[in-house]
Amino acid sequence: MSDADAAQAPGFDWSWRWFLEGVRQALTGPAFYVSISLMGVGSLARAAGFPVGAAVLSTILVWAGPGQLLFFGAVIAKTAPPAIALAVSLSSVRLLPMCLSVLPMLREKRTPLPVLFAAAHFIAVTVWAESLRRLPDIERPVRLPFFFGLATTCLTLTSFSTALGYWLMGSLPPPLGAGMMMLSPIYFLATTARSARSGADWLAMLFGAVLAPVMVTFVGGGFDLLALALVGGGGAWFAGYLARRTS
Amino acid sequence: MSVFSADPTLAPYLALILFGFLPSEIWRGLAVVVARRIDENSELFLFVRSVATVLLVGVVVKIVLLPSRELAVAPVWARGGALAVAAAGFFATRRSVFAAIVAGEAVVILSVWWCMG
Repeated sequence: MSDADAAQAPGFDWSWRWFLEGVRQALTGPAFYVSISLMGVGSLARAAGFPVGAAVLSTILVWAGPGQLLFFGAVIAKTAPPAIALAVSLSSVRLLPMCLSVLPMLREKRTPLPVLFAAAHFIAVTVWAESLRRLPDIERPVRLPFFFGLATTCLTLTSFSTALGYWLMGSLPPPLGAGMMMLSPIYFLATTARSARSGADWLAMLFGAVLAPVMVTFVGGGFDLLALALVGGGGAWFAGYLARRTS
Repeated sequence: MSVFSADPTLAPYLALILFGFLPSEIWRGLAVVVARRIDENSELFLFVRSVATVLLVGVVVKIVLLPSRELAVAPVWARGGALAVAAAGFFATRRSVFAAIVAGEAVVILSVWWCMG
């Protein structure tokens, strides 16, 4: 799909070797973590009365766990469609800073716009965290093929696991079901900690851990994450800014 | 979803595109437009990186504090304990993501097992 488009785009280097390196690194862990942790989306889609094709399509098109869970959860709760759209959109605001912190690492002066749109589509928590961790060690010209190899592998495997979850979830014993749902929180935290490169990164994680329960309790209504992002993210950045100034 | 009752086989797909895909994809599209003006070493880039990191931790806290039906079978101490043990495994193994997952998962699975008697 997008990798084929990218290969034909003018003024754009393509290296299958680095694409395959991205595939390989995805298969060392990330693709499995994200695919297992999103199996729950399949089961929720089934509970919402959607066909298995729509469950898989939600992974391919939305490609953001919280947004998908919200969408099917809201359908189950018989929420009005405009309210569903608003809730999904609010939960996906975080894709904006995620894309903004990866795209400048991928982009070169002559990278065609459609390639950047295609790249942005694949950015969600997993691909974002793995990109932050792995891209800085890779030469800029081959970052895009590497990125697409990593991202398409994660998405493809997760599409299959969404279908698997659609058929399987209800029949899993409770300890395994709970373990499956706990996989993404642990993986998200560990891989973000793995990609931490400065004191500001660690501070951002600490601020998030301390402030998130407060915001969830007192802000709520879908705006808690937004408030958390501005207060915690702003604070962590400012502390890092001061540290860079004085050093 | 009465708007879609005309064709019931297509309705779920249309609903997904209109109320799931477009509302979230809009942020990615916006990022592409804005990212053209952001330099990898600028303060704005570092700020955005901090925001994204805090958001991720926020999403994790929400999953753990407001659990789904499947995760709610694990009591809150097991969920919090799983994160703590995962962190211990992570740092004990010089930042191994895999070790963190094995350690944390063991806590969740075993505690749910134990709670069920």
